[in-house]
Amino acid sequence: MRKRGLALALAALAPLSACVEMKQYADVQFTPPQGDYKLLVLRPDVTVSSLTTGGMPEPRADWTEQAVTNVINAVRAQQGQHGGKVTILAHRNELPGVTAQEVADMERLNFAVAQSIVLHKYLGEYLPTKRGKGLDWTLGEDAVRLGQKTGYDYALFMHAEDEVASRGRVMLGVLGAAGCFVGFCAPNVGGATDLDYASLVDLKTGEVVWFNVVLARSEVPGIDFSDLRTPTGAAQMVDRLLGRMKPGQDVGKGRVMTGDQGEKR
Amino acid sequence: MCGRCLEISRRSLLVGGGVAAAALSTGVAQARVLPRDMVPLVGPGYRPTEKDEKGIWQLMDRAEEEISGSNLLIEDPKLTGYLRDLIGTVGGPAAKDFRIYLAHVPDFNAMMFPTGFAVVFSGLLLRMRNEAQLAGVIAHEAGHFLRRHQIRSWRDQKRKTDILAFASMLAGVGGAAGGVYLGDYVQLAQLGTLLTLFSYSRAMEAEADAMGIKLIAEAGYDPRQMPTVWQQLIGEEAASARYRRKRRQKGSLFDTHPSPDSRLADLRLSAAEVTVPGKLYNDYRARYLGVLGPFRQTLLEDQVKLNDPGASQYLINTLAQDGWNGLLRFYEGEIWRLRNRPGDEERAAQSYAAAVLYADAPADAYRWHGIQLLKAGRTGEAKAAFARYLTMKPNAPDAAWVRQMVS
Repeated sequence: MRKRGLALALAALAPLSACVEMKQYADVQFTPPQGDYKLLVLRPDVTVSSLTTGGMPEPRADWTEQAVTNVINAVRAQQGQHGGKVTILAHRNELPGVTAQEVADMERLNFAVAQSIVLHKYLGEYLPTKRGKGLDWTLGEDAVRLGQKTGYDYALFMHAEDEVASRGRVMLGVLGAAGCFVGFCAPNVGGATDLDYASLVDLKTGEVVWFNVVLARSEVPGIDFSDLRTPTGAAQMVDRLLGRMKPGQDVGKGRVMTGDQGEKR
Repeated sequence: MCGRCLEISRRSLLVGGGVAAAALSTGVAQARVLPRDMVPLVGPGYRPTEKDEKGIWQLMDRAEEEISGSNLLIEDPKLTGYLRDLIGTVGGPAAKDFRIYLAHVPDFNAMMFPTGFAVVFSGLLLRMRNEAQLAGVIAHEAGHFLRRHQIRSWRDQKRKTDILAFASMLAGVGGAAGGVYLGDYVQLAQLGTLLTLFSYSRAMEAEADAMGIKLIAEAGYDPRQMPTVWQQLIGEEAASARYRRKRRQKGSLFDTHPSPDSRLADLRLSAAEVTVPGKLYNDYRARYLGVLGPFRQTLLEDQVKLNDPGASQYLINTLAQDGWNGLLRFYEGEIWRLRNRPGDEERAAQSYAAAVLYADAPADAYRWHGIQLLKAGRTGEAKAAFARYLTMKPNAPDAAWVRQMVS
């Protein structure tokens, strides 16, 4: 009886405590690439860790390697539907005519720009100078040069960090849920978390034309979704991150955001 | 009824006892780690075998990829080669596995990453008066790797936070079932855990000091130079704080490193312990200055521009204990000039005047000496100083302006 009660309690909590948030921004004139375009996907920056009982993410080498393979395959499958020519770099030295150092510099520049986008678009430090301009960031001349050298139209940068609740963390949540029966209810200690972001750069202009952040989080350990260690989970993540790319609308009605405005489900 | 009472009090005792034990094992003062107990825990070519360490190594390999390609690095082959040789000398069994990167950051710091690569800040090189001092810091960092500190402290953290998470949850659930509130105990246990984590970190630093001093003494470096590094740091911190009218921070329960004072005291004892009577120890000062020579000006320039006159002045005076020269006198003048308190301009003028008496005075010493002479109305001497500046630095950004002053 008690056992069934516990299962019921967990089942009732599950939909409340797992959520996926995503929010994308796009350049005003942006339309998602279609047809005959050439896309360069930089080495996806993927980390999978195990969330310890005490709540510390412990990086796992084997899981990360699995996840990188799964994510690369999922991006290839997802982009295949759009008809473009896609190259995905697994290493920095795989781009003919471009040194690993140049690729690294581009990645680091993008990282700095992405930090800035996150700070000023997502974390509330809005800039008055960028109001009404959609997404107004650029990687500059270096990106244009990369495009000229390689002939690609777009570059896509991806970052994914996945925390998987360890057995101990799940037990902790179960104990917290069991406490509900005696008046100390703490099932939502926090479980799997998946934070991903991606930016698309137009290599003709150097501008960042589209940016998306996906945060998938379950409060109850043991409930997992988009587990990057599995091909299905990786495909789900890639679909959330890249699958709903929307055109930048004409801004000017005082709204900066375009696309999904904090879509929740 | 009473049986239940007993059970609860036993439970609270257990939690309370845990806190007491945690509190006992904390405390800023820790027993000194003896150098002779410090045996390297890794051999040559070490690779991790367990999954937690493998995960950390993979992450750190990516960190190294970024750090090794950073544009903050000073990549002069002579200087980086010298650092590589140095860690190869004092690196114990892993000597050939270490990598060392020199970052252009004007701060006293060096760090070892879990996979065996070290990052040394350029500010450290400015503060070291000889090779033995630098070898001491590098051997300390090597000690972290040789004693497997990162993985040991990771496991310690993981174990303690795991226990705390479960114990807190049990206290909550158990307390609710028993009808008592154990929240206060949980908070105490949290503090206790936190404090043991910090004290564990300090214990590792003490181990690295003991390991380091043993390594440098074995390599023939004067072990007494290692406590001197801390003496210098204490002096610098005190001077910096005095200038800002603050007190130098002393050790607290929340420090990750033992206070410089306790490290100084421990290292002095350890230095005496590792010294073998009759063995010849050297500080290799000349070799150090020979390699560092061309960089010293950049390092001094960085330091002076930190706008920390107390620390900068202390540093210059410390370096001058090995003899004044034109470079040190010039930057002494720069500290006064940039501080700009009443009387500082005269002090700066004196320093510039002293600097140009040395053969190694930098071009800028003549420029500023000339400006001060001009202000004092000594036009002829000023022109001579400017002329010297232009000979030394014909392509200086302000060359046209100075040339006009001379003509």
